[in-house]
Amino acid sequence: MSLAEVAAAIIGWPPVWQVLVIGFLGSLVIAVLAVWFERKAAARVQRRLGPYWASPRLGGLLHLIADMVRYAFQYPIIPRTVDLIPFLAAPIAGMVIALLPLAVVPFTSNPAYWPLPPSAMEYSLLIALAIVTLPPIFIIAAGWASNNPFAVIGGVREAFIIVAYELIAILGFLGAAASTGTFNLVAIVEAQGGIMWLAILNPLAFLAAFIAIVMSTSAFPFEIPESEPEVVAGPFTEYSGLLYALNMGGAYMRRFALSIILALTFLGGWYPLVPGEGLLMGYILPSVVVVVKAVIVVLAISFLRAVYGRYRLDQALDLAWKILLPMALAGIALGLFEASIGLT
Amino acid sequence: MSGEVRVYGGWRDDLGLKVIPTRRLARDVYEVFIGPQHPGSGHMRIIIRVDGDVIVEADPDIGYVHRTMEKLGEIRGWIKPIPLFERMAIHDACNITLPYVRAVEKLMGVEAPLRAKYLRVLLCEINRIAAHLYGFAIFGVFLGHSTMYMWAMGDREVFIQLAEELTGARLTHSYPIPGGVRRDIPQGFPDMARRAVKYMRKRLEEYRKIFLDNPVIRSRLEDVGVIPKRLAAELGIVGPNARGSGIQYDVRIIEPYEVYDELDFEVPVYTEGDALARTYVRVEEIRQSLRIIEQVVEWLEKKPREPIVDESIYKKYPPLHKKILESQGRAKLLPWMATMKVPAGRAIGRGETGRGEIIYYVESDGGMNPYRVRIVTPSARNAIAFKYALPGHRVMDLPAIYGSLDYFPPEADR
Repeated sequence: MSLAEVAAAIIGWPPVWQVLVIGFLGSLVIAVLAVWFERKAAARVQRRLGPYWASPRLGGLLHLIADMVRYAFQYPIIPRTVDLIPFLAAPIAGMVIALLPLAVVPFTSNPAYWPLPPSAMEYSLLIALAIVTLPPIFIIAAGWASNNPFAVIGGVREAFIIVAYELIAILGFLGAAASTGTFNLVAIVEAQGGIMWLAILNPLAFLAAFIAIVMSTSAFPFEIPESEPEVVAGPFTEYSGLLYALNMGGAYMRRFALSIILALTFLGGWYPLVPGEGLLMGYILPSVVVVVKAVIVVLAISFLRAVYGRYRLDQALDLAWKILLPMALAGIALGLFEASIGLT
Repeated sequence: MSGEVRVYGGWRDDLGLKVIPTRRLARDVYEVFIGPQHPGSGHMRIIIRVDGDVIVEADPDIGYVHRTMEKLGEIRGWIKPIPLFERMAIHDACNITLPYVRAVEKLMGVEAPLRAKYLRVLLCEINRIAAHLYGFAIFGVFLGHSTMYMWAMGDREVFIQLAEELTGARLTHSYPIPGGVRRDIPQGFPDMARRAVKYMRKRLEEYRKIFLDNPVIRSRLEDVGVIPKRLAAELGIVGPNARGSGIQYDVRIIEPYEVYDELDFEVPVYTEGDALARTYVRVEEIRQSLRIIEQVVEWLEKKPREPIVDESIYKKYPPLHKKILESQGRAKLLPWMATMKVPAGRAIGRGETGRGEIIYYVESDGGMNPYRVRIVTPSARNAIAFKYALPGHRVMDLPAIYGSLDYFPPEADR
């Protein structure tokens, strides 16, 4: 084997391919799209033009790329008061780990392109959810390492929010598992063949999971840890330049990763496309369908910015514990009931 | 520096000092300095001490944009302070300078003709709406509601253009002068004003849908930052903030100036005293201002044009100035006004700006400059509300309360 073949084999191995290409490159492209859509849609609602001058012919689509170039070349200021190693490590680790769930989710029903061996695939939903819970720890670490009152308060807020949404997210996704009686993401998708999406069959669990995604990625109306009028930029107050961009990008990547899990569990995965044999039909096209569904979820979350203000921290927690948690539990009960009467 | 010091960070600075001594706080209390370089503070600093997430103490620390308005008012004659005082709140320019002009008029013994009074009221109400919309915009962005920010800022443009049409300037109009105003309404202004009124009524309905009735915004404002009626009275809070606490106090009603006693309008009062009540007072005030604009425009349209400066000043006009006034409706400032002497005496000017009552005390010793100009602005009186409205609330309530008080530092610091 030549070196190129080895490299191709490594890149082509589904977990690496999914994290690097679908995850990293894909989410960069999608971040450009989502940020552009977020700003354009908000501008439309607010009766203004939105981004324009970075690429007038594309309606300002490349604005984020210009922003990223700016971030990349900006002098990153690192205050002397910070705890250096966690301060530097937190945004990088946070972003990388945000993408890791993509290493375990299947994008096709063709076993040749599963990222995990079939025996491990049985628990792919649980593994993905377990990895999803990791990145917020790095946000708290970033806030703590910054050694700044606003960053510390922001980090503590993030901690509150994590405790609230994590349980709901997991219980919400487990509602899908209850409906289908399996933790295997492939089996969950196959159970939704055609239009019998779990979002329709089990709207309670879907709604709980969706709101938990909104909460977990600090989207409006839950943009609380980074709430500008009180805590400047929350845990990221002391960050500048590329490190700040990594922090912000981490949130988008987490939103994207969670949206892919949501698309698989509730929005019918690769259906209406039925994966066949070969690379194109068996892997690339189904993954495109899944990514498109996830992008729609990401864009829907982005649009909330134009409509809502910000909840207060205690109100968000009230909502999470008093309404969403019972709703997620009811979603599991509904799933079990549907499974018992054989609806799915 | 006595006894105990706290270590903050634990790093060595340039002088080799290992620690920074800081003031010792009560146990479990965290001190946060919000401002003056903070996206949510404006040109001021609020020092809050928090126990967990609850504010236990708040100190409004003002003075960052002090511009010696009172002292400057003593050295530049009687006319030049008008454009100077506008800088306290440029989006409320007519309201903020009119009481000064009225105080000077009292000293000079001149009075604006009726038409000029109507014109003054017209610009005052246009300014009031623009000032409230500005407040709404800031309030919206404080609550994370970017749409409200953009809408209010955009719709404020309508009234700024209206003011521009009337005075020739978007913000600092310098419109009222002792003895009258500087311009009559141009051709086509009444229709433009009516269109603006109609448009704004429609928009207020849309504001209600997206902002005031938005469940997120309502839950942020209801029962937040309550200032009871008694406390509001004791602190001397003025303007919409006092009226939101159930105090019916509006200079336009208590001591009507210009033509406010001839106009039909109401002063909205809410008794809840929370942030939502203060917000609703402002919305209702915009409605009432729209009513006033309609009435004033109607009057101005019906009545024949007359000189818009006092008779005694008009008599001194050279023929060219008289011609310009009659043909274009523009009253030129006469050169002698820049160096005029005002008879000795004392006068008080009161007026209701968008944020509340403003008081000017003007004293003349008969010279070319005011001997003393004392200004008490509404924001200066409202600043104390932070100290009493914030404690007991959560840190996230700070922007909600700040925004609902519509505090404007440049106006407070003078």
